[in-house]
Amino acid sequence: MLEHLSYVLQGASNWQTLIAAIVGVLWGMLGGSLPGISTAIAMSLVLPFTFGMDPAAALVMLGAVYIGSEYGSSIPAILIRTPASGSSAATVVDGYAMHKQGRGGEALGLSLVGGTVGGLIGLLMLTFMAQPLSKVALLFTPPAYFSLGVLGISVIASVSRGAVLKGLIAGVLGLMMGTIGTDPLSGVSRFTFGTPELLDGVPVIVVMMGIFAISELMDQAADGGLDNLTIEKKSSRLKLPSLKTLWRLRVAQLTGVIMGLIEGLTPGGGGSIAAFMSYNLSRSWSKEPEKFGKGSEEGVIAPETANNVVALTALIPTLAFGIPGTGTAALLLAAMLIHGLQPGPMLFSAHPDVVYKLFGGLFIANIGMFLFGLVLLTPVIWLVNRPKAYLRGAIFVLIFSGVYSADGSTVHLYILLGIGLFGYLLRVLGFPFLPFVLAVVLGYMIESNYRRSLLITGGDHIVFVQDYLSLTFLVIAALFVFTSMYSQLREKRQQSAEESAAQLNAHV
Amino acid sequence: MTNILSGLVLLVFSAVFWLGADAIPKSPLSGSVGADGLPKLLAVTLAVLSVGLILQSWLLMRRSTAAGKPVAVGGEGEEPPRRHMRAFGILAIGFGFAAIFEYAGYFASVAVLLIAVAIFYGVRSSRKLLVYGLAGAAVFYLIFVKLLGVVMPTGEIPGLSTWL
Repeated sequence: MLEHLSYVLQGASNWQTLIAAIVGVLWGMLGGSLPGISTAIAMSLVLPFTFGMDPAAALVMLGAVYIGSEYGSSIPAILIRTPASGSSAATVVDGYAMHKQGRGGEALGLSLVGGTVGGLIGLLMLTFMAQPLSKVALLFTPPAYFSLGVLGISVIASVSRGAVLKGLIAGVLGLMMGTIGTDPLSGVSRFTFGTPELLDGVPVIVVMMGIFAISELMDQAADGGLDNLTIEKKSSRLKLPSLKTLWRLRVAQLTGVIMGLIEGLTPGGGGSIAAFMSYNLSRSWSKEPEKFGKGSEEGVIAPETANNVVALTALIPTLAFGIPGTGTAALLLAAMLIHGLQPGPMLFSAHPDVVYKLFGGLFIANIGMFLFGLVLLTPVIWLVNRPKAYLRGAIFVLIFSGVYSADGSTVHLYILLGIGLFGYLLRVLGFPFLPFVLAVVLGYMIESNYRRSLLITGGDHIVFVQDYLSLTFLVIAALFVFTSMYSQLREKRQQSAEESAAQLNAHV
Repeated sequence: MTNILSGLVLLVFSAVFWLGADAIPKSPLSGSVGADGLPKLLAVTLAVLSVGLILQSWLLMRRSTAAGKPVAVGGEGEEPPRRHMRAFGILAIGFGFAAIFEYAGYFASVAVLLIAVAIFYGVRSSRKLLVYGLAGAAVFYLIFVKLLGVVMPTGEIPGLSTWL
């Protein structure tokens, strides 16, 4: 215990993790405030630069970007009604209403304090829950790990609203991409087409930046208009809430904490789901529900608390089982794998220094977010107000520079663009890309445990049903998929019936 | 209709993937399931899901037609082709950058990229734009090459590579 505490203190005081935390949270706030730069994109842009870093510092930097971005994305949401990412969409409603009433500074203050408090509570949960939960993973056999991976992808595919089949297809495509390269067991090359650069497979960083960043640039180009909405500096002065106000809003913050914990622990959950659910829950529990939608303080602090709780609690299943709680946590998992860190109980015994330094670094990142949030509003507003034509060019350069700096290969630039095109097609055709991303990250774990399981039984697939944990996971996966498909079918039938009734009434 | 077409393309892809998996060399180091095991399983799974998507979309189309509702072809807002042309336009700029990157070198390629994207978004060609491109390239060069020590191509253009 004392040893762990010393690692936490090291993480909070070591110069490498300090710089990583500060740089990460700064970039998270700046990058996260730019509409079109989601948290995942902000993290993927930084990922190549973490390759040469100390593993703990690398994870701290990415975690800090995650934390900073959750606050950063609320700034344009409140000031120009433009959420920079999905997780701040719930803040737009009441945040922008407050801004129109001349209370934009108050809304920003609520977002900052709610986010900081949420982040610190989430960090406490992460610190105390991750290791005990990881011990459960000791019960896992290769069949159980395989089925857990399948469960993770199935759950995320089933929450793809109205498109479960497409979510599953995207997951399968991601697993297919994961088979490119050298077979880990026999050393045979697969689907490399004689390209030496593909012998190690398609680098995860190329996949992440292609799917998230390049496809986003294409999507923004397709939208055509440059929505050069600008923020008025004078109406955006930050105003922190008093302790009395925070006490009055305690129930709303509590809903954010509860929803953030539930969604962070659930694979496929995420900031946006937690934010909306906490918004709805706090409205149900509020003494003044009629104020929601018209500038309610609870309507701002609840989702913003939830966002930052999720940013930390999503790391619990990521560290404990290697199953990311959110798509953004999948990037952190990718970084762990790049640095040779295997999630699970062995992580805590083999690399306790990395894990606890991570916790210490994230503590600094949370405090840093609060302190920088007090002073950074002006440069953030300046950045958001830059003409989009120049900003998008700069983002393009950042993407290419990041990918090339990873291994100096021009072939990867072409692969990056190809994956970007694929990501754009997924968007246009209505396929969710989160299952694809998760499948790419989990692909090695799924295949290696699949093959190991069959090595044990001489090729007999019955092992996945005989192992009770594996069977449980497969049954839950099937339940998730079939329940979602049934709900989807029922919704469509209901919609059809309502439309037919409306048409009939129109004729009458 | 778009979903049916997507399903058909995916079905064809799953067949191609199966054939590709079948061509993977067998190794004596593999266990009972070789390097082709998971790829083949994935190909079959994709084929099944694609058929499911085709059937689901066809049934929905039939229901819509029976109810007398117009069947959506796809695309929203303005003409889809023009919308996608813009997306492919920015992608083409990216491919152009990748093509000239090693020949022109990092500095020149970045300057060209910044200017090209700005023009793509409607900024008029002017001296100011050129200055923006060069200044932007200088900033990125300083950050990546000088500060972070990343080895970027200097290019093969005589004179320019020496200067850099």
